[in-house]
Amino acid sequence: MIEAFRLGVYSREATLWDGVDLVFDAGSVWVVTGPASSGKTLLLSILRGGRQPDAGDVVVSGESLYRGSANAARSFRASCGHVPERFVDPAGQTVGNLFRLSAIACGGMRDGERRERQSHLLSMVGLAGAEGWKLPTLSTSERVRAALAAELLRGPRVLFGDGVVAGAGIPFREMLGGLFRALAREGNTIVLAERHLPDRWATTAGEGKAAGPFRVYRLAVPAPPAGGAARPDAPGDGGGQGTEE
Amino acid sequence: MSEPSLLWIDWRLAPRLSVRDSLWRVTFLTLVSFALLVLLLSGGADRFLASRYAITAVLRTPLPAGEGQGLARKVAGLQPVRSAVYKDPEAAWKDFLLAYPGLDSLPATGGNPVPGYIEIRLRPERLTAADIGRVTSVLRPVPYVEKVLAGEDQLPRLLRVKRVAAVLAWGGGGVFVALFSLVFLLQDRIRASALAPDFAFLEGRGVPAGRLAVSRAAGAAVSGFFLAVIGVAVSGAILRYLLVRVPTLETLVGPPDELLLPRTAAAVAGYLLCAALLAAVSSLNGFRAARAGRK
Repeated sequence: MIEAFRLGVYSREATLWDGVDLVFDAGSVWVVTGPASSGKTLLLSILRGGRQPDAGDVVVSGESLYRGSANAARSFRASCGHVPERFVDPAGQTVGNLFRLSAIACGGMRDGERRERQSHLLSMVGLAGAEGWKLPTLSTSERVRAALAAELLRGPRVLFGDGVVAGAGIPFREMLGGLFRALAREGNTIVLAERHLPDRWATTAGEGKAAGPFRVYRLAVPAPPAGGAARPDAPGDGGGQGTEE
Repeated sequence: MSEPSLLWIDWRLAPRLSVRDSLWRVTFLTLVSFALLVLLLSGGADRFLASRYAITAVLRTPLPAGEGQGLARKVAGLQPVRSAVYKDPEAAWKDFLLAYPGLDSLPATGGNPVPGYIEIRLRPERLTAADIGRVTSVLRPVPYVEKVLAGEDQLPRLLRVKRVAAVLAWGGGGVFVALFSLVFLLQDRIRASALAPDFAFLEGRGVPAGRLAVSRAAGAAVSGFFLAVIGVAVSGAILRYLLVRVPTLETLVGPPDELLLPRTAAAVAGYLLCAALLAAVSSLNGFRAARAGRK
């Protein structure tokens, strides 16, 4: 569970937002929406321990990310996946290099195993055979999906996606929705930052809850089958709240 | 989750760039090794000057049998002395005739006019005023020695030339090493900048920056050490080949056997460690610069 208490950010001598409380339960898909320049990317960065907030704190499994031990924060970051809205291409500049980096970040992986999983994951996001493609030649949608697949190689317990749904484009929206729900069913936490919630998702996500300039939605995740793969520590579909007010 | 092995991270992330840098490095290290070995053996101009300079102890005549040889042996035992060769009056006369032909009739008029002498040559590194003084002071009180010719008049000039040559040789070598170090530093900065997004990716996923920096530096030190070993082996082989094939080079540089002397080996070991240390420091410097550029 990721809890954010009274988060505040001051930018350009003005308060961007303050007093924001958020709770993200495990085994759920969360979508944080907000207008342009409201600080969604910054919020995700704060939630995964990449940037200390100017006020408040983030607590993961009872341990503060910013005031607790550095090792605990590092372990949390190691368990996270992050698909940024924009990223600088790695040195190798190919889709395969993204996977190689991801494998190094998780402690190394045999080349054969990596290639097999990479091929499977790329097929899953509609990029079969893209291993050798140059990143600068990819469309926004392809870049987002390639980055997502590379993150999934490590099997992150928490996945942060910044503009992933919008970036992937309409043809892949439902595929991504299904993928995120499937990941959540296995006990993972998915936190997405988007400008708008897709209409078809809104029907199952309800009204959402306001938190500062943001609105936080929780997508319905089908309950795991009896004796299924859900992690024992993952709460059921009804647990948790989007925000605390 | 196991800890990622980051020792050869640059090779895994940018193999082509790493190979290119290593090829440049091994070329530079071979050149530096060659210069170092030549300097170690020659001591700048020491070897050449030592081959040209000799102390001559002119002996009295007549000399009791065996005294000249005995004295030469004793002198050869002195630390600064490389060789001490006794020439009896007969041999000295022959040498004289070789130098000044046409004077064969001189002994007929009044006997052999050339006395016996001991020719003493110093070790190149001991060609100093103090060591010359030490040898001459040992020779002068010997009753059989009539005169010691050590070229005292020209000695200050000779030693000045030796000093200037040493400063020029080692200074030139130092400038070359400084340029090479700069290339090392620039290479690492460029490579680290190219890999900055990769490092940011890894740091963002829980790989500590400190471990990344230290592992890279350790990898750089190991590869720097081995590249320097290759450089020393290649340059040593080339130098040995040249010294064997062109014997006149021995006068300037020294005999090939001296490549294997303990003091040469010790200096080379120090050089290998310096190369490893330089590689590690430049790796850390590159990493720091890449991180600073990212912020």
